[in-house]
Amino acid sequence: MSKIIKLSDIVPNKCYTVAGFKEESDYSDKLHKMGFVKGTVIKLAPVKTYDPMIFQIRASRIALRKKEASQILVEEIYE
Amino acid sequence: MRRYKNRQFCKRRQCNHKSGHTISTVAIAGVPNCGKTTIFNAFTGLKQTVGNWPGVTVEKVSGSFWLNNQHVSLVDLPGTYNLSPDTEDQKVAERVISDGEYDLIINVVDASNLSRNLYLTMDLKDSTNQIVVLLNMVDVAEKEGLNVDVNALSKQVGCPVIPVIGVDKASVENARLEIEKIVKHLPKHTKHVSIKEVWDTVRKYAHIDEICASVINDSSHTKKSFTNRIDTIVLNKFAAIPIFLVAMFVTFWLAIGVGSVFIDFFDIIGGLVFVDIPSVILEALHAPQWLVVILAGGVGAGCQTVFTFIPVVFFMFLALAILEDLGYMARVGVIADRFMRKIGLPGSAFIPMIVGFGCTVPAIMAARTLATKRDRFMTIFMAPFMSCGARLPVYALFCAALFKEKSGIAVFMIYLSGLFLAIVTGFFLKGTLFKGKSSYFVMDLPLYHAPRPASILKNAWFRVSAFVRKAGSIVVIAVAVLSIINTVGIKDSRLTFGNEDSQSSILAYVGKAIVPVFKPMGIKEENWPASVALFTGLFAKEAIVGTINSLYASINMTDSTAMPESKEEASINILPEIREAFASIKSSFIDIVSSFDVLGIALIAEDDITISEKIGAEPEVYKHLANNFTPISAFAYLLFVLVYFPCLAVIGVAKQEMGGFYAAVMAAYCTLLAWAVATLFYQVAEGRNIIYMIASFAVLVIIYGGLHFIGKHSRRLEN
Repeated sequence: MSKIIKLSDIVPNKCYTVAGFKEESDYSDKLHKMGFVKGTVIKLAPVKTYDPMIFQIRASRIALRKKEASQILVEEIYE
Repeated sequence: MRRYKNRQFCKRRQCNHKSGHTISTVAIAGVPNCGKTTIFNAFTGLKQTVGNWPGVTVEKVSGSFWLNNQHVSLVDLPGTYNLSPDTEDQKVAERVISDGEYDLIINVVDASNLSRNLYLTMDLKDSTNQIVVLLNMVDVAEKEGLNVDVNALSKQVGCPVIPVIGVDKASVENARLEIEKIVKHLPKHTKHVSIKEVWDTVRKYAHIDEICASVINDSSHTKKSFTNRIDTIVLNKFAAIPIFLVAMFVTFWLAIGVGSVFIDFFDIIGGLVFVDIPSVILEALHAPQWLVVILAGGVGAGCQTVFTFIPVVFFMFLALAILEDLGYMARVGVIADRFMRKIGLPGSAFIPMIVGFGCTVPAIMAARTLATKRDRFMTIFMAPFMSCGARLPVYALFCAALFKEKSGIAVFMIYLSGLFLAIVTGFFLKGTLFKGKSSYFVMDLPLYHAPRPASILKNAWFRVSAFVRKAGSIVVIAVAVLSIINTVGIKDSRLTFGNEDSQSSILAYVGKAIVPVFKPMGIKEENWPASVALFTGLFAKEAIVGTINSLYASINMTDSTAMPESKEEASINILPEIREAFASIKSSFIDIVSSFDVLGIALIAEDDITISEKIGAEPEVYKHLANNFTPISAFAYLLFVLVYFPCLAVIGVAKQEMGGFYAAVMAAYCTLLAWAVATLFYQVAEGRNIIYMIASFAVLVIIYGGLHFIGKHSRRLEN
């Protein structure tokens, strides 16, 4: 099993899968329905921004603040 | 005509008989940005009606189209990602679908973003089996390297799937023909018991992932997609802000520059249609004068005011719709989020603020795009502090009279004060009226694609018609009342009419009576025209110029009882007026094209005489202004003009968007703050009256306390 890290800490050009949310909040439900469910592949969009960060998930680009991204847990996929 | 109807009726009966299935109402559902409205427009053409869904303020757009020779009504449902209602818009979609009000649901799915779109499809499938999927934007998807296997998708999802390119007429017509075939073999409607949580989110997405894996041929990993390449430039650390400024400049140029070309035109035509012609007709009918005053001078003038806002509102929304359709608007939200979050708002709240520099009315309407009620209301409260175009003539007049060559700096300082007060307001509200949880920022960045002219025009048009219908009514009433008290005067204990902008109107009496209120901000007793002007400024802030101009002139006429400009009765000539209206378009067009000056700032740089000509004031007015104001008191007055009660049109839309209570709070907040700020500035800089300084601080404390009180005792704003 690989290590679980915060979504805000992921590095470019690597793929991750969503592991879950740190805690329930008013946006966690929204994100859940938007496709942030366990096992979904997520990576940084090839666009350099610091905060908000832009992620690629399910063929869409979602911008999230660092603060919100730090509430989402992901694990790295090793190929 | 009747025969034709009969024939249609027979055909319909025949058809029903043949298929044994009646389709009379169809709804279009889809996630936001899936191109739902484009397809709706292509199906229904120009014949559409805009109304409200019962009980909520969500717009209901409906039209009709032909399906198997039947006239079928088609409703555009609000865009939603799923059927669990989060916002008002989505509640409507959920209710309509779960009630089974429609015979057929057309689900528009964006092929370039299949998995998130299919989530809604799955939700829809849970509630009805009478569903057709239109797989839209297959061309865009291909460009991004995604090929969708339509047949496999249809099998997997379990309903007919038709590929379509929404912007291509032939493709849409083909889709319509396909729907005709499908409708003939539609399964019987079975209403599912409940749509709630038939499958949980995780399982649904697992299923969707399976579908996607089997139907999508994805070659996008091999190359950097078109959208990502653009984003790399647009969101670049260094280029983002300059690109953003250019985009804003073009927006303004289109909205304020091009929009204002037509303002005079609409003003003149509106005056002709709503005021002049009715008054001529009424006089020809020998109607009593009070009736003429109320109908033509009051209600008519109100209609004219609303009418003159149309071009600016229209062009502003046109420009915003283009940015939205391009996909750029979402990026603006990302860029602005860094500083907007400091006052507890998401980056997307920045767009309405920018719009506010042009006109506060479309700014407030633009706040609709924000996710939560708290964000929306807070943005609406801050929007009036962005100094709008209508205030500029007032600044120009005063600055030319009192600041001479320093006019530019003075005007700049006013704009800056507005920005500063907006930020202060943000902090004020954050801690009081709109406490709530600090907002979050989740923004979906759509793919870039070329704007679609039809949907942009329609979008802008709907916003304008909404403005006219909803905000229009309150504006007409308020303007009517003010015009009436502006024209009605009491002389020798008899009512007289035609006292506009003179000393003898009721408004002038009121103005004189309340001069003492403005004394702490440096308005002397004999300078009562300045206080009257603040009343006419309620119509539109530029009206202050006209009032000050004619009142100062009328004071100079020693015998104020003679009011020669009472009526131009029956002397209007329709043709020359229309000619003048068209001429105004030409001359303002030359102005904006030659100068590229979107905010009209160049006005400030002109010499006194040119300014007075341009804003329609007499050159002598400068003398009066210089006699009545000091530079400090003039600046205080301008600060007051900037901040106090936003014009009636603004309060009209604010009421429409937030309800009467918050609109009233906003009006009171602005006016009190204006007084406190103007007084404080004047007293610190010139008056040096400790009591007034304390008073203005006291007012600030009262404002804060009041907001705190209301915030505590009113229900928290959810969503």
